[in-house]
This record gives sequence, structure tokens and C-alpha cells, in this order.
Amino acid sequence: MEEQGLTIPSELGRITIAPEAIAQLVGRVAAECYGVVGMSLRAPVPARERVTRLLPKGKPARGVVVRNAGGAVALELYVVVAYGLNLAEVAATVRSQVAYEVERLTGLRVASVDVHIQNVKRTA
Amino acid sequence: MSELETARRLAHGALAALEQSRQRIDDLNVYPVPDGDTGTNLTLTVRGVVEALDASSATDRQALAREATRAALMSARGNSGVILSQIVRGAAESLAESNELARAVRGASDEAYAAVRKPVEGTMLTVIRELAEAAEAARPLGPAELLALLVERGEEAVARTPEQLEVLREAGVVDAGGAGLVELVRGLAAAAAGETPTPPAELPRVTVEAVHLEPSRFRYCTTFVIEGEGLDAAALEPELERLGDSLLVVGDPSALKVHVHTDDPGAALSLGTGVGTIEGVEIADMLRQTEERDERLLAALPGGASRSGVVAVVAGDGNRRLFESLGAERVIEGGQTMNPSTADLLAAVDATAADEVVLLPNNANVVLAAGQAARVAGKPVRVVPTESIPAGLAALVAFNGERSAEENETAMREAAAGVVTGEIAVASRDATANGVPVRNGEFLALLDGEALAAGAGFDEVARQLLDRLLAEPRDVLTLLRGEGAPSLEGLLAELADAHPELELDVHEGGQPHYPLLLSAE
Repeated sequence: MEEQGLTIPSELGRITIAPEAIAQLVGRVAAECYGVVGMSLRAPVPARERVTRLLPKGKPARGVVVRNAGGAVALELYVVVAYGLNLAEVAATVRSQVAYEVERLTGLRVASVDVHIQNVKRTA
Repeated sequence: MSELETARRLAHGALAALEQSRQRIDDLNVYPVPDGDTGTNLTLTVRGVVEALDASSATDRQALAREATRAALMSARGNSGVILSQIVRGAAESLAESNELARAVRGASDEAYAAVRKPVEGTMLTVIRELAEAAEAARPLGPAELLALLVERGEEAVARTPEQLEVLREAGVVDAGGAGLVELVRGLAAAAAGETPTPPAELPRVTVEAVHLEPSRFRYCTTFVIEGEGLDAAALEPELERLGDSLLVVGDPSALKVHVHTDDPGAALSLGTGVGTIEGVEIADMLRQTEERDERLLAALPGGASRSGVVAVVAGDGNRRLFESLGAERVIEGGQTMNPSTADLLAAVDATAADEVVLLPNNANVVLAAGQAARVAGKPVRVVPTESIPAGLAALVAFNGERSAEENETAMREAAAGVVTGEIAVASRDATANGVPVRNGEFLALLDGEALAAGAGFDEVARQLLDRLLAEPRDVLTLLRGEGAPSLEGLLAELADAHPELELDVHEGGQPHYPLLLSAE
């Protein structure tokens, strides 16, 4: 990926975290978010640079796009939500849960989390 | 009493119990995000149901169940509210059909679990499941008695949540959503028995530890008490805020307790001595806590020192980026007409930092050289003999740097075998391949390396190939567009219409000679 890693300055040198590593982390958090029953590969436009989407089924980084927004993390999530839930509330809690966990686990600032609900699926 | 009146009375009971405990539940809230609103969210969600029932004129249970479900859905607030709306749905749908309370609690639990991919234990989900188990295990009881029993079992389940979820244990609290659910059941039990709900046993209060769960960039956790006269917490807060984060100022005009995370504890103390006298000063170095966070970070992230690395032979800039983004350590430019030599492959193998290497030739003409490089290399090298770029991508997806090259070879061969690949090439001479005649300059479609169709029209040839690739139901179709290839817009629109469930993954691969490479899985 041509995106540069995100860096955390520290007294002993910089810590760099690759976007793929953050994408893995985000995928894991998203899978635990209530209402999320899957990640979608599909982006709204034919993708050109959305390479992280190609990550395989079963691996959590599917449906996650990570960008470096001036040293902070900008995230896009493409999710499938269980049928019969309040979509606005599910999206809002996914956003806050992902932002909180990424800041907690990486120390990086999260600039934005865009949640796209790509599909609604009946699971029960 | 009519069904509607019964439903109203129960819902009002649940709301009253939640309102009594709202603040305490808010204070418990550290998971999933410590934003202190679980009690409020549950209360607002139940209030929506109460208002809908108050306005309802439903006369049968099915209509009541629909209205309650819809109201819970519409008024669901926050994570706990959304879970509660599923619990209401499961219970209401069951009660519409049957009077059996145990069945309704089971329905609520199943519905709640159905809407999450990886349920986290030690949460509201655990509590509703344990309530369902308790209801099923109980001897036959009347509704009021069973609900009273569920309150007890629920309290026990909530008390166990810190054993199940580490973040609760660290903060010294029980799960807020689970605690709220038990209050709701307490309200139902009281209403069913015709009583007002008894206030619950004291819930554990939130501790300063919970504040520490907020991410902090500052080193010293500083707490002290300011004593004086006419102390103004509101005036002090903005000044302390400038020094750090996780600020907490509580107390009265004669004594204020201050908690702040800062790199400059001295400055915080000076602010205190400026308005009064200070005592009870505690300054804790949070470096250790930061180190623990870093350990969590490292444990949560894949990678680190990897045991195996991948060397792949790839044509096209876009494909190179794809392979790199999927974890290939070295990518060698090469393909149909410019095969890398054994020496090129060896140099790339030697240049990898990993102890062992997996080679992906991605072209039939490179497989042999890859085998030779593997035999003479100075470290263990395994070849996964992929004959196309899509097959190589499928194999790479199964790669795990923490496993040996040998273990990876097995997994990657399986992954590559699990996809069907297609290629559209431009013929460089007149020929007959696999019984398919093709002229110089025409498009030739290959299915898993075998010639399938040829012709002058790109879309026409591509359609024949796509029909075969999608003959069986597939989940994902990956398309790698070649250098100077015709536009795919028309074909993509046709695919989206004909296969609405299929996920299309389109990339500018940039490979020469092959206008389109495909794989279906």
C-alpha cells in the first residue's frame, strides 16, 4: 500500500503502525460490535485503491479502509447489520466503539470513522 | 384485566425500576466505551415502549407484540438499547404465541445473540442467556414467582461479569447493561406481584480505576485535596484542563478533590496552592500502565518478527501493490515475456528478513526457475506453484507469517485450489489452442489455464468466460484490469444486474498482455 504507516512519537524513537495492522484491529473490534453480522467487500464505486478490501473472508480486515489523515487515523467501515435493528444507533455505536478501541490500543488519534451499512441480513 | 392493561402495567413497572437505578447504572458503564450512559439509554428505550403502549388500542396479543417490538426498535438508544430492542422482540414474538414465560426468555436470549457475529461474554448478552437457562431449569412456577427467581439469578449472573470480562475486573465494576437488565426484570417482577419495586442492593460504585481506562497521553496521575474557603471548581477546571486530561474535580466550596493526568504535576499543585492549601497529594507514574498498554497493543496486532516471508513474481504496478498490501515481502517484476532468472529469485529470497520463504511464481513459465531457486537457497524455501496472478493472490490470502514455510505451503496450496481463475490474453499469432482457433490480435479466454473462447470483441469473449466462472454460485469475483485494457464499466453493470449477491472486487492491476485477470471463490 502506498499509504505511509502512522507514527507515534516517543522519547526513544518513533513507533510506526502499518495501515494493515490497524485494519486488522478494526476488523476485530467491529466483529464484536452489537448488530454487526458481517463485513462487506463491496464499496459504493468500483474500487481502485481500496486494496485492504481484498483481504480474505474470515479474516477480520475485510471491509475496512484505513487512511492517514495528517497523522491521525481516518477509517471507513463497510458492514452488514442484522435485520430488525435500529440502523442509526448501530452505526453510532460502531463508530464510538471503534474510535475508542483504536485510540486505546494504538495511542493514535482517530480523525474520523465513516460507517457504511452495505446490507441488512436476517440472521434468526 | 385486558391484555393491553397487563402489558402497560408490566412496562410501567420496568420503567420505574430503571429510573430508580439509572444514575448508578450510568456510573458502572466502562464497556464497550466508558461514556457513562447505559442507564440513561436503557431508560429511554423502555420509555419509548411505555409511551407506545399507553397510546395503543391493540386488542390482541399479536398486535401488542408488533407494537412493542416496533416501539423498542424506534426508541432504541445506544448499544444497550439496541440489545434491549432485540430482547423485547424475541420475548414479544414468543408471548404472542404462547403464555410460557421460560420460552419467552429463551426467545429473547436467542434473538439477542442472533444479531452479533462475535458475542462478548460478561455483558448484557451473558445475563439474558443465564436468565433463559435459569427459567428453563426452574420447576413450574407462576409468572410472578418465576420473575422473582429470575431477579435473584440475574443478580448472581451480574456479579460474575467481572470474572468474564477483563475490562470490568480492571475497573472494579460489574457490567452496566447486565445490571440494567436485572433492574428491568425487578420492575416486571414487582408489577406482576402487584408491588412497587424494592430498591436494589447497593451496586458497586465506579472507581478512579475506571478513569484510567481512558486513553491518556500524560505520564503522571496526580490527585490531591484543596482546602480553603469559597473554592470554585468551575473556575479551576479550565486551568487544570490545559495541563492534561482525565480531569475530575469534585467536592464543595471548602474542599475539592482533584484528579488529573499530566506531564507537569508541579503546575497542577501550584494551581491548588494558589486558591487554598493542599494535602493528600499522590503522584503516580503511569509509565508502567503505558507499558502495559503497549503490550496489549503488541498482542493485539499481527506480525512482529515473522518466521516466514513471501517472494512473489508479479506483472503490473497495481498488482505489485496488491501483493505488497497482502503481505508479500518481496515482489519481483515478471511474467509472460520477461521471466525472472533463478538468480533473480535467489537474490530476493536472500533479501527477505524472514527465516523461511514461500515462493509464488504466478506463471507457468516461472514455476521451474522457482523450484531451482528453492533447491539451492541458503534457507528453507517452499514453492506454491501458482500459474496465474489471481491464483497467487488466493494463495497469499492464506499466508500467515508466524507459521513455517512448510505449514504455509499446505494452507496456500489449498487456498489456491479453492478458487477458479480466468484470464483474457491477446493472441500474438494465429493458432488453435485446445480446439479453439484464434487469430493474431484477438482476445483469448482461458479458464484455469485452458483455452475456452476467442474472438475480436472483448466484451463477447469476457461474457463467455464469466458464464463459466459463475456457473456455480460464487461469493466474490476479483477482477484485475490490465494495462491499456478496454473499459469494464458495461460488463460490471451486467454482472451487478445478473448476480446481485456477488461481491465484485475490481482493481487496476496494470499487467501487460492480459487485459483481464479474474478469480471466483
